[in-house]
Amino acid sequence: MSESLLFLIPLLPLCCAVINMLFGMRLPRLFAEIMAVTGVAGAFLLTILFWGYAEGEGTRVVIFTWLNSGAVDVSFAMNFDRLAAPMTLMVTGVATLIHLYAVGYMHEENDYARFFGLLNLFVFAMLAIILADNLLVLFLGWEGVGLCSYGLIGFWYRKLENAKAGTKAFLVTRVGDVFLAIALLWLFAATGTLNISEINAQAASISPGVVIVLSLLLLLGACGKSAQLPLMTWLADAMAGPTPVSALIHAATMVTAGVYLLCRLFPLVSISTVGMTAITAIGALTALYAATCAMAQREIKRVLAYSTMSQVGYMFMAVGAGTVTGAMFHLLTHAFFKAVLFMAAGCVIHLAGDENDIYKMGGMARRGPVELFWVFLAGAVCLAGLPLTGGFFSKDGILLALFTHPDPTYRVFWLIGVLTALLTAFYTFRLVYLVFAGEWRGTGHPHAIPLQMRWPLWPLALLGLIGGMLNLPALVGGDEMLHHWYGDLAGRAVTASHSTEWMLIGFAVAIVALGWFAAHWRYRNYRPPVENRVSRFLLNGWQSDALVDCLLVRPFTAMARFCSSGCDRSLFDGTLEGLAKMATRYSALLVQLATGRATTYLSAFAWGFLVLLGWFLLKLVNGGGH
Amino acid sequence: MMIPFGHALSFAAALFVLGLTCVLLRRQVIMILIGVEIMLNAASLVFVSASAYWQQVDGQVFVILLMAITAAEVAVALAMVVYLWRRKRTLVADEFNGMSG
Repeated sequence: MSESLLFLIPLLPLCCAVINMLFGMRLPRLFAEIMAVTGVAGAFLLTILFWGYAEGEGTRVVIFTWLNSGAVDVSFAMNFDRLAAPMTLMVTGVATLIHLYAVGYMHEENDYARFFGLLNLFVFAMLAIILADNLLVLFLGWEGVGLCSYGLIGFWYRKLENAKAGTKAFLVTRVGDVFLAIALLWLFAATGTLNISEINAQAASISPGVVIVLSLLLLLGACGKSAQLPLMTWLADAMAGPTPVSALIHAATMVTAGVYLLCRLFPLVSISTVGMTAITAIGALTALYAATCAMAQREIKRVLAYSTMSQVGYMFMAVGAGTVTGAMFHLLTHAFFKAVLFMAAGCVIHLAGDENDIYKMGGMARRGPVELFWVFLAGAVCLAGLPLTGGFFSKDGILLALFTHPDPTYRVFWLIGVLTALLTAFYTFRLVYLVFAGEWRGTGHPHAIPLQMRWPLWPLALLGLIGGMLNLPALVGGDEMLHHWYGDLAGRAVTASHSTEWMLIGFAVAIVALGWFAAHWRYRNYRPPVENRVSRFLLNGWQSDALVDCLLVRPFTAMARFCSSGCDRSLFDGTLEGLAKMATRYSALLVQLATGRATTYLSAFAWGFLVLLGWFLLKLVNGGGH
Repeated sequence: MMIPFGHALSFAAALFVLGLTCVLLRRQVIMILIGVEIMLNAASLVFVSASAYWQQVDGQVFVILLMAITAAEVAVALAMVVYLWRRKRTLVADEFNGMSG
């Protein structure tokens, strides 16, 4: 295969998206569905075929020149390198399985063309982010995924709250996008290029102060897309979308785009210590914040949404601790186990008769197909970080990187990470116990689960469980495959003595066990939920919506009201209307002069004539005086 | 025998005032038009007498022009009189106040 055919990877989903959007409703339903799935599956197969091109320095393919004016030289170019290739493989692979799942999930939905069109378009935009050679193409994809996310969260837009959730996601992420755009323009001003590899090469020559500001701007941009503090309010509400969308966009791929961006520009970001500390701090705070929120959530998908936020916080911590490998490793394993958790949650909701509340579930292990429990449990143990699962190794790598960081303040972040791990284990098993253990407490009638919704869970669950093989630490006889694959892109090599590593592993195991026992003790036998101030506070995500409302929305509304009724209506409109009324009143006097009768005008002529005559006479008299 | 310029001017002024009085006081459109004609003739008289006084031919040329214009004006004005009559069956000028503000 020639390298010039690399462009087929993003093109396939794009073509399917366009066809589905334009003609989808006229095509037979089966055809539209098969096309949507094969478009993404084709991209997946192509990525495997092209894998060799990613080795070494990677392959750069210019598709066509987009802008070329003076110093601006932007082309639609792809950079298929060591960082992009695993991510591409993960996105297309997970997306294929989720598309298959979506065929089953949406089979009673009439608007399938819009759904699959947007889903395919999302895959295209995500691939544009991953494969972009310059930041402008990346930004295009960045906005593209935001648009698709908006359209898919509000997919059932007839319900107002869904449409509102979509708008909220769009607007909050847009705040981050503004910072990203500023960072982009600033980078162009500082380096004269938008090419990612050139920017990374020139990073050392940018003045240190600017680098700090740039990394903070990039961090804020990443925060918007990845739902990190302070731009995290949208993700929990985004669960209003269909479950395949939550699995694909709001768990596996789009929310990790921020991490990928920071990894892409890691040579630039890693220069400033302040920036790195800020990234770690944001990640740590978000991880802890989201984990506490997840403990009190009642809706199954919201628990998972907060856990996503928390896990993406771990990835930020990894970037901040200087290990790209750690971040990408956790990104990949998280994509697998979180996708499977979401998809299994979709099945659970189906079985519970569209019931979201975990307190009204229970006994699902016996109610549904037996494998559902096992795949959900597989995802859950990965999320909780049970030893030997994928999530265990990736999370452990991050905690190790934090612990061994030369800067002692990172010990604080490590401590937060450990505390978050404890909470994660607790809320994960709380979820498992509440949903699957005990007796059925709900009222809904189960829907049948189609075959397409069942078997895509297996490969993902398996990948999540054995995901640790990707980057097995040398300690347990692994070869750190991912770390070697990234080579010079991998960031700081995390080295620690065996005793430290064993100690940390022992600690992590103890933490997970503690979390599990706590959940077991509290939720093994069902007890109705306790409502108090703390649980309400956590349920509402630390009242973040109210805070945003107080800090931003209300002052803004007040300002708008002042501008509209205070300034515009009273001051400007009042003055102008007063002037107009005065003019009308005085014009009424003048109107009386216009009688419309010729005789009036004639006598006016005569009077004028008389005045003129008098004036001339006066001049004559005066002239005679001289 | 030359009529003195002052006499001619005085006569013309008297004629003009008579015409103006007619225009202002009469209510019939036709009478107003006749008043206008008288005022125009007064003006013509001033032109002719001034031309004779200064021995310049320009004034007489202008009077010929004025006659032609007057003829045209009368033609238009009378046509309008006919039209006005048809519209309201009256020629009292104050009845036509359609342009009232």
